[in-house]
Amino acid sequence: MSAARAARPRFLSDRAQFALQAALLGVLAASGLLIAGQGNGYAAQLVFNVALSVLLATGWNVIGGMTGYVSFGQVSFFGLGAYAAAIGVLHLALPWPIAALLATAAATSLAVPLGLIMLRLNGIFFALGMFGLARILQIAANGLNITGGPMGTTVPAAEGPALPAAVTVVIAAAAAGVVAALMRTRLGLRLMAIRDDPVAAEAAGVNVWLAKVAAFCIGAGFAAIGGALYVWNIGYLDPSSAFAGTIELQTVLMVLAGGIGTVWGPVGGGILMSLLGTVLWARFPMEQQIVLGALTMLIAVALPGGLMSLLPRRGWMARPPIWGPPREASEGALPLAVRVAVADTPGPVLVCRNLGKRFGGVAAVDGVDLEVAPGEVLAVIGPNGAGKSTLFNLLSGFAVPSTGEVEFAGCKIANIRPYVLARRGVARTFQTSRLFPTLSVWENVLLAAISRHRRKAHAVAAATELLERMGLREDWARLPQGLPPGRRRLLEIARALALEPSVLLLDEAMAGMTGPEIAQVHQVLRAAAARGCAIVAIEHVLPAIAPLAARVQVLDFGRTIAEGAPAEVLHDPTVIAAYLGTDMAGTEFAHA
Amino acid sequence: MATFATLVVLGLLWGGVYLLMAEGLNLIYGVMKVVNLAHGDFIVLGGLLALTLFGRYGLSPVVAFPLAAALLFVIGAAVQGGVLERIPLAKPEGELRTLLATFGLSYVVANTSFLIWGSQFQSIPFLQSAFAVGPIAVPQGLLACSLLAAALAVAVHAWLRHTAVGRAVRATAQSALGAAACGLNVRRLRIVTFALGAAMAGGAGALVIALVPFQTSSGGDLTVQAFTLIALGGLGSYLGAWLAAELLGITEVMAQYYLGSDAAAAVIYLVFIAVLVFRPQGLLGRTMRI
Repeated sequence: MSAARAARPRFLSDRAQFALQAALLGVLAASGLLIAGQGNGYAAQLVFNVALSVLLATGWNVIGGMTGYVSFGQVSFFGLGAYAAAIGVLHLALPWPIAALLATAAATSLAVPLGLIMLRLNGIFFALGMFGLARILQIAANGLNITGGPMGTTVPAAEGPALPAAVTVVIAAAAAGVVAALMRTRLGLRLMAIRDDPVAAEAAGVNVWLAKVAAFCIGAGFAAIGGALYVWNIGYLDPSSAFAGTIELQTVLMVLAGGIGTVWGPVGGGILMSLLGTVLWARFPMEQQIVLGALTMLIAVALPGGLMSLLPRRGWMARPPIWGPPREASEGALPLAVRVAVADTPGPVLVCRNLGKRFGGVAAVDGVDLEVAPGEVLAVIGPNGAGKSTLFNLLSGFAVPSTGEVEFAGCKIANIRPYVLARRGVARTFQTSRLFPTLSVWENVLLAAISRHRRKAHAVAAATELLERMGLREDWARLPQGLPPGRRRLLEIARALALEPSVLLLDEAMAGMTGPEIAQVHQVLRAAAARGCAIVAIEHVLPAIAPLAARVQVLDFGRTIAEGAPAEVLHDPTVIAAYLGTDMAGTEFAHA
Repeated sequence: MATFATLVVLGLLWGGVYLLMAEGLNLIYGVMKVVNLAHGDFIVLGGLLALTLFGRYGLSPVVAFPLAAALLFVIGAAVQGGVLERIPLAKPEGELRTLLATFGLSYVVANTSFLIWGSQFQSIPFLQSAFAVGPIAVPQGLLACSLLAAALAVAVHAWLRHTAVGRAVRATAQSALGAAACGLNVRRLRIVTFALGAAMAGGAGALVIALVPFQTSSGGDLTVQAFTLIALGGLGSYLGAWLAAELLGITEVMAQYYLGSDAAAAVIYLVFIAVLVFRPQGLLGRTMRI
């Protein structure tokens, strides 16, 4: 451990890092303002283009990069903002600042219902669905007579590009600042977790739905301001330029070139690529899009992380760890917390009766009864395909039972979403570990802790405590892939415990662990059970859990075939037959 | 009533054409689980190549159309072998990177076409007349395209079912890892598949440009149209794609007639989003995959 401590690289404190980044942003914005104020119209126009690019790229990155929902139709909101602002100025005689603000508000509120529909989609479906949305809006704009239909309309514009350039620089810098701040908030952490693994995020108590829609609206808002500023500067608006595919291509390229999912990627990529685009446009207007398209291909193939991936992962321009590093451990570690209200309820905390789940003709779980009391450790064992993991999906709300029901703390869990259940105290791990690969060890645990604790200090203390107990504190800044397999399992258990569950569902959590690691888990589980947490542990073989379990339930072909104390179950002929086949049923089954 | 019957017949015939335009995308998606966003641009390129071969060099359509498809085969092989093979699909971000790469490719293809052919709508005047079946007027070109599309669909299906390479392609579609473990050259199979998909796009373009004029920027719309179709059919499913094609054909023709062309263009996107949201597994669900 001391070697690890010595080898640990020195980090800037996250405050220092944040201050340095803010200073850089300030310098960039100030130079933009200086150039725009020179009185040279061409230079001011260039600054306007660069700043608008940074703004659009930053907005795209919130939904496409941070949340992982790549869109080929973010220009929809650019166009909506542009049209709403133009209508405000032309037909409601609003002054520009108010029109722009109202347009942004209108487009952002329109993003709520649109997000509710579009975010049901994933991956390519979302990307192309957004593309379709942009085309629908463009067709709608063609039919909008008050803005000149397909021919477009002139709109009273700013006098010269200097003022729009200055305003856009300030707004773009503010947008980048907002994203940098967002990445240090609960919402930012949740969005990055959703990008990595939405199922695991849901299990850690994240309202995936709400977080995605919030990100969608923020991204839409940035694009809409951009649209309004664009019209204000150019004084002209038509459907094919407001919903132009070129804007979409350039935005995607800028984010990709700079570094998708980072704060500085869209800023750097936006500046570089808009300058490049301008140069190309001036010298080779016909070939510009070919070059930009080829560049997109090249980066997607050769440098998927963009320019930011060339910088050190923990350099000062990187994302500082959220609310880290964990403080030094407090003396006399706190006991593990369990929700007392639930732990005090008499009787079993989790009950299921006649639970069944069919997939087509196969009954994966077939009439299973199970109950577990606070503080009890129940082991569920069974051979491969016995229905153990399906049972867990039913218990944690990730699957809906075909028959029977599950009750948690006296309430039926039918129709309760998994994240709600996780927040109320049913935590789970997954058979193949599902950690968030781009979040640090610390953030993996913190994500679950913020689902439990409203106050930052409490969440930080709880996460620190858990890392300490699992012996993972030294590794807080590493990525999960950097850990050996057994320690990854420990981390997943720590994440589940950070929800301070009253029921903990462990799905082969100790597979692949070394002896000392298993001992460590046992110690932590004993402490949790002593505080009243009910533990249901699936294991393929018994020794990993036998020392803790008072009761063992054996599943085969979806049914309970035996139940009782570990020693008696192991000698049950039915159980031996299930594991070894009927021919072996007479032999002693001591190795299970 | 006669009008309605005509619209239905036209819709069914157009369905065949839509199927042809979507088949290459379906094949590529079925095997590689990636969507080629340049598919529509390949269709346009195939059409414009056929236009040049037919119009400028005076080749007979019987020669010009297959030649356009063959050129697209070569381009497709070069794209997959030279670019997309460098993105490891096994990694989680592989799908996204492929998507972004083909997004870039679509701009390269569309704008290169623009440099060569300009931006105006172009068409091949070929089989322009119509003949009457009772009260229904059937355009010859549309009938020919529809029949050819059906023939091509059957041919590709037979190729996948009954040839060694076709079976290997299907094996790769079901499990690339398993196919590789059985000693199949998965890389070469993917290149062949992508090239074939591009060739089908090219062939479709060559036929369709005789029916509707193309513009170099039509590609994006065609990609979405083709994707809508295969999504509605259940990605990678052949029977489903055919059903979806007929449905879309009738919808499109009806919308054109009753609502006008602007609205018809929006209808396809509305269908697209509705399909994705309400029936993401397609009409036939997970059955009948390749």
